[in-house]
Amino acid sequence: MGVELLKRPFTVEEYHRMAEAGILSEDDRVELIEGEIVEMSPIGSRHAGCVNQISHWFSQRVGERAIVSVQNPIRLGRRSEPQPDVALLRPREDFYASEHPGPEDVLLIVEVAEHSAGYDRGVKVPLYARYGVAEVWVVDLSRGVVEVYRGPEEEGYREARAVGRGETIAPLQLPDLQVPVDQILGETS
Amino acid sequence: MDVHVERRLFTVEEYHRMAEAGILCEDDRVELIEGEIVEMSPIGSRHAAAVKRLLNLFLPAQAAGRAILSVQDPIRLGRRSEPQPDVALLRPREDFYASEHPGPEDVLLIVEVAEHSAGYDRGVKVPLYARYGVAEVWVVDLSRGVVEVYRGPEEEGYREARAVGRGETIAPLQLPDLQVPVDQILGGTS
Repeated sequence: MGVELLKRPFTVEEYHRMAEAGILSEDDRVELIEGEIVEMSPIGSRHAGCVNQISHWFSQRVGERAIVSVQNPIRLGRRSEPQPDVALLRPREDFYASEHPGPEDVLLIVEVAEHSAGYDRGVKVPLYARYGVAEVWVVDLSRGVVEVYRGPEEEGYREARAVGRGETIAPLQLPDLQVPVDQILGETS
Repeated sequence: MDVHVERRLFTVEEYHRMAEAGILCEDDRVELIEGEIVEMSPIGSRHAAAVKRLLNLFLPAQAAGRAILSVQDPIRLGRRSEPQPDVALLRPREDFYASEHPGPEDVLLIVEVAEHSAGYDRGVKVPLYARYGVAEVWVVDLSRGVVEVYRGPEEEGYREARAVGRGETIAPLQLPDLQVPVDQILGGTS
């Protein structure tokens, strides 16, 4: 029956207290999205391989200009703490040991979607836009494209385009890092 | 956008640990419904008055030692649910359920009062009570001016559902001589 349940939303602070109290454990693959504790889908090997490719490619080239962060939390306002697949962060001496990076610390977020492109596009991308993350790439493995989102606004990204095989893209804030899309998507699937 | 989101579901035990850890406090008007922590809608004065009238009507059963009256207190239903029905008549027990919340086997009757929330009560709570074998549920629908009576719990819902209106009386199956006039539940014409 189509009845709207008014779910109790949680703050980031409450979410962390759940971990401290042992209610959520490190084995819980969850993220906090606008107050809701959402289970992340299991990572398939294609997805994992793609994340490895991307983090390897960036790690070899960014030098001191960025920190490559893989499946770690990002702080977005009072009620969200997603864990994007890959993030390039502004360098910081403590490597964000004192607090998770916020939107202002993010140079680029990359989400890899094997089957979850709907969730990434429909939930995560609008969330990143709302909190002002400068740029997001969604690697859609099933369509074989990388969607590039730039210009965050309250209602979404001003610019959205898909780049395909044979092309290259670079993060707006690290314009010399030209990534071949083929490199991201891996060998033909 | 209509995207399916898989929420992390909680057990009753985790839900209680949230209270112990101060994540949920006693001011949180919530109930645990199949693993989801659901906010209860604010109680309007008509709703509150109906609950008070029910208490008056059921008090004789408590006075006679035949039932314990429970108001907006939790009921244990399996691993992932702990709803707080408006009124419940429970089997008498010496400790008044101090050692644990009553389970479905302890419930003689559950009454939910709906001022605006009849859809939630009918669509979510009643099927939940049926699934866990609560013998009988009444939904007092203030806007329609009827009492819906549900009996015969099964996995998919109650076998018997009927609405009784003004001028009629009803009695809980398990307390058949507690005859309650529907007019006294609904109160003066609204």
